Amino acid sequence: MKRLREFEYYEPTSLEEASRMLAEAEPDARVLAGGTDLVVDMKTGRMRPSTVVNLKRIPDLTGIEDADGGTRIGALTKVDVVEVSPLVVERHPALAQAASILASPPVRALATIGGNVGRASPASDLGPALIVSDAVATIHGVDGPRDELVEDLYTGPGATSLARSDIITALTLPARRPGFGSAHVKLGKRGSGTDIALAGASASLVIGDGGEIIDCRIALASLGPIPFRAVGSESVLRSEILTEALLEAAAEAAAGDAKPIGDMRASSAYRTRLARVLTLRALHGAVESAGAGVAA
Amino acid sequence: MMIDLDVTINGVHRHITTDPRLTLLEVLREQVLLTGTKEGCGVGECGTCVVLADGKPVTSCLILAGDADGVTIETVEGLATDGVLTEMQQAFVKTGAFQCGFCTPAMVLTATAIFRENDNPDIEDVKKALGGILCRCGAYPKILEAVIEVKGEGT
Amino acid sequence: MTTYVGARVPRVDSVEKVTGGAVYGVDVAMPGMLHGAVLRSPYPHARIVSIDTSAALAAPGVEIVVTGRDFPLLFGAAIKDQPFLAIDRVRYVGEPVVAVAAASEAQAQEALDLIRVDYEELPAVVDMRSALDPDAPLVHPDLHTYKRGPNDIVPHTNINTLYTYERGDVEAGFAAADVVVEGEYSAHAISHVALEVHAAIAQYDSGSGGYTLWVSTDRPFLLRNELAAGLGVDSSRVRLIVAQVGGSFGAKGVPVAEAIAVALARHSGGRPVKVEFTREEDLVASQLRVPAIMKLKTGVNRNGLMVARSAEVLWDSGAYTAYTVGVAIRGSQTIIGPYRIPDLKILSRQVYTNKSITGSYRGYGTTQVTWACETQMDEIAVELGIDPVEIRLMNGYEEGDAYLNGQIMRSVGLRETIERSAVEIGWGSVEREPAPNLRRGKGIATMIKPTMTPSSSNVVINLEQDGRVTVICAAPEIGSGQDTVLAQIAADAIGVPLSDVSVPATDTLLTPYNGPVASSRTTYHMGNAILDAGGEIREQVLSLAGEVLEVEPETLEMRDGIICDLDGELQITLKDLLAKFYGEYYSITAGARFSSANSPLLKADPGEEWMSSIFWMLCTQAAEIEVDTDTGVIRVLKVAAAADVGKAINPMTVEQQIEGGVVMGLSNGILEGFSYDNGRIENGNLADYKVATIMDIPPIVPIIVESVHDEAPYGAKGVGEPAAAATPPAIANALYDAIGVRIRDLPITPEKILKAMGELEAD
Repeated sequence: MKRLREFEYYEPTSLEEASRMLAEAEPDARVLAGGTDLVVDMKTGRMRPSTVVNLKRIPDLTGIEDADGGTRIGALTKVDVVEVSPLVVERHPALAQAASILASPPVRALATIGGNVGRASPASDLGPALIVSDAVATIHGVDGPRDELVEDLYTGPGATSLARSDIITALTLPARRPGFGSAHVKLGKRGSGTDIALAGASASLVIGDGGEIIDCRIALASLGPIPFRAVGSESVLRSEILTEALLEAAAEAAAGDAKPIGDMRASSAYRTRLARVLTLRALHGAVESAGAGVAA
Repeated sequence: MMIDLDVTINGVHRHITTDPRLTLLEVLREQVLLTGTKEGCGVGECGTCVVLADGKPVTSCLILAGDADGVTIETVEGLATDGVLTEMQQAFVKTGAFQCGFCTPAMVLTATAIFRENDNPDIEDVKKALGGILCRCGAYPKILEAVIEVKGEGT
Repeated sequence: MTTYVGARVPRVDSVEKVTGGAVYGVDVAMPGMLHGAVLRSPYPHARIVSIDTSAALAAPGVEIVVTGRDFPLLFGAAIKDQPFLAIDRVRYVGEPVVAVAAASEAQAQEALDLIRVDYEELPAVVDMRSALDPDAPLVHPDLHTYKRGPNDIVPHTNINTLYTYERGDVEAGFAAADVVVEGEYSAHAISHVALEVHAAIAQYDSGSGGYTLWVSTDRPFLLRNELAAGLGVDSSRVRLIVAQVGGSFGAKGVPVAEAIAVALARHSGGRPVKVEFTREEDLVASQLRVPAIMKLKTGVNRNGLMVARSAEVLWDSGAYTAYTVGVAIRGSQTIIGPYRIPDLKILSRQVYTNKSITGSYRGYGTTQVTWACETQMDEIAVELGIDPVEIRLMNGYEEGDAYLNGQIMRSVGLRETIERSAVEIGWGSVEREPAPNLRRGKGIATMIKPTMTPSSSNVVINLEQDGRVTVICAAPEIGSGQDTVLAQIAADAIGVPLSDVSVPATDTLLTPYNGPVASSRTTYHMGNAILDAGGEIREQVLSLAGEVLEVEPETLEMRDGIICDLDGELQITLKDLLAKFYGEYYSITAGARFSSANSPLLKADPGEEWMSSIFWMLCTQAAEIEVDTDTGVIRVLKVAAAADVGKAINPMTVEQQIEGGVVMGLSNGILEGFSYDNGRIENGNLADYKVATIMDIPPIVPIIVESVHDEAPYGAKGVGEPAAAATPPAIANALYDAIGVRIRDLPITPEKILKAMGELEAD
């Protein structure tokens, strides 16, 4: 099988040490989180880092805990742990659902949530789920820690705004408002879902007692160069009363927000259709998760 | 640049000096000479490289050697003791849950891990847990029969 | 009366398979072994201008670098057109150009980057229709000069196989028919995706000029002979030692890794060289199923009986013919299906294209033609307003019918396969609309397959002094459980316990000749050889026992190693007999050769005997599917698959083959496919070439149908191939039943379904 090329391998014990290694390695260096993207990229030749910096010895990078009603997830937390964490399942179903259909179980047991964000695949399963949950990434850089919305990190296919020596240390999902519900839906090549997404949609809603949509987020995967918010779709929903017709209109608008390419996996026409279909399904899921009903 | 690993493989503690550019799978097959774990694709898509790492099924072709330091690993060779097959292995034999056998180590190991967590798992959950391992011979129906056999439900 | 034949015994290879102890081709390692890697063509068609290997030769660990100029030999099963390494030009993306052997696999792979090859691109022909154009670039301009078997070619074209067949007068048949139904259907290239990739170790002995190979193959002797012919040496100069095979499905007969390993071993000074393909190489540079475009026209009367059929099939061999010639000829015949049709015309052509090589794939052409035949069968049913089950029963072969060539068909369980699978699927009732976006339907499809005829198998059986039996035959266990079945036959033929029988690995130096473990032929042919040799051993033993006990041997029987009189009274055990009679170590040996040639069952119209088959396999599948009209995704809810196997020597292994065939057929039909960009495969990796997982399969009900075959060992025919063919058309027919959408081009994809529904614009 494909063999890896030689590289320098380090296991720093602090963020400072790791950042420094990443900054100083010549010609380049990559962070090793779960390895499920990096090792594949190194085998296919998409990446040939001269230095690999394994973060596993750095403390406080794993674990899921309450943070003032919000949920803090260490960046190195395995995706299969995120999938079943009671806090995540209860508070952020979109993320739990996205985690449950990422790759396959033995890969999820290695993949990390931080690694997935850093890889920035346009087909990312977790990206849209994090976006609709207003997730914030805590990043350690040469100037110390900073917070950024996950949504703002993605700059292009496989690219983020992170500097070479930046390390994502945690993802924090803020406390939910009353009436919040979320869901994630994906379609892969196999109906069973454990594939690269042909299209994916996450939705979150905050629904008032009178059925009005106080706030909403819709994020799409594989329907543009990066996981992105379908703002056109959101504007159809915001401040309106929840009805089935409204959800369908929002789904239709999502198809308009999508800018999918046609490639060997799917045509752009099919992806556009899936944008509508999957957004509607994600919205239904979000409504159900919020415990609300939908007027016809 | 060589690295040192402290690992436990099938209950035996080992100190291995190895090349960091090897994957755990390559170390197991080529250095430790446990060839029961297979390499079918090298990129985590086929599941034939699955081993148990600290009890969890993982695709060992994606684990860099260095990342295996300190881990407790079980491969298919660690299941039977003194030639006595485990209950799961016997069930696979009885129902004919293999054909060419190439995916069988991964299937048996994963099924074993499932039952360690829960001796009466839901069949749909079993299918999901096995969903990352390809069986091109199509032994899936009898693999499920073997699992049902161990569950004790029968037909 | 049998003890083991007919019983559901566990596989004899069970323990090694469930403990990880089985050694496959990829697991074999030798001391001093070098590792190979291959530099491959990036172009579909190009002239090789120059190759500079100097930097690679100087790279760390590299011992050998070989180009086609160093090893300018050709091989090929039907047409000797394929170089071990490209010589002066490359003809497909992925063709091996330079081979490197180094101390480690990593060093060999890294050395590839240091090799400079200058190519001059040539115009390429990348689809089979274009390959027929008079102005098409010729993939093999010198085809007419190549050494080849008796198949017809069309010189100075890309047509490497031409086969025609006619019977009666189709034009008159069409003119007289009430209705004529026409259609064009296509089957796509797919990969076997055996989980064990192609791998081989080769070692050259300069003293004898011979090669030893450690391989994983389904046809040791055919592979050996093809390699020897390519190397220009006598066949016994090449020795194949066969490991366990991690899946073949028809993939592991062509010299793939073996060709590279041999080319490197020739120059390695006696060191063994191992070549193990990456999965990506396995997907694009081994062999694929032969794609086919099939025009089918059938004349039928209002009462449902078919009266005339013409078929025009175009096959795509890719850049070299490998095993495709037989597919194009034999496969084309079965486009007629298991149906009585008096007037027939078949035109089959196969063309070279500048694409990946294609070849034998579980069914040898039958999965492709069954797709066309069974899709059109349903179109006929719809046109006439006749139930799809009924129309198949009406036209299907029955015992004693004549095949196309006049062969009288025996052991024809077709009707039962149709009836039982229809009953099992609940034919005639469907819950049509379980949800607003879901529709359900049921479909049925049947198929027929011959086995390669004639063919032969040899066996040598040793009975050791301690009562153990060794069945020495070249029948590598490829996963179908045939070694278990052969052991069961041996145990009953001789009369010993199954646990005392072993079927050791194949070594062409020691195991006598066998045809391939392919064409579903092993149980029948090797089984008959074993019956013969085993019977001889039994006779010798009983004769010995007669001497010892001072009775006539005819008054004795042996079962499970116990020799009894005709009333079942114990007389002596086999072990005691052997111990008593032989003062020193001794064994009893018998050998047999079985061939299907000259069987009276093959009698046919003069000149057409070659189309006969020593047995026919019939298989019918009924499927229920659910389609999501929003996404176009099909979920298969259930498949009932019935196969006429003659007699199930081991019902469990028969079920394994039926179930396995359905899983493969489902995967082939709705999940798999390659995307090409000017001859280059874009998705040559398992992330983008998807095969079915345990999550993708429905409940499958295997139905074993038995029928009487007078010459089969205990009545057993074959079962390995048929089940993969009927699944895609059964699913497509169920789709039509659900939403009235007809798909004629494989694979069946959500996009095609939505487009056919008018719900999706073309891109």
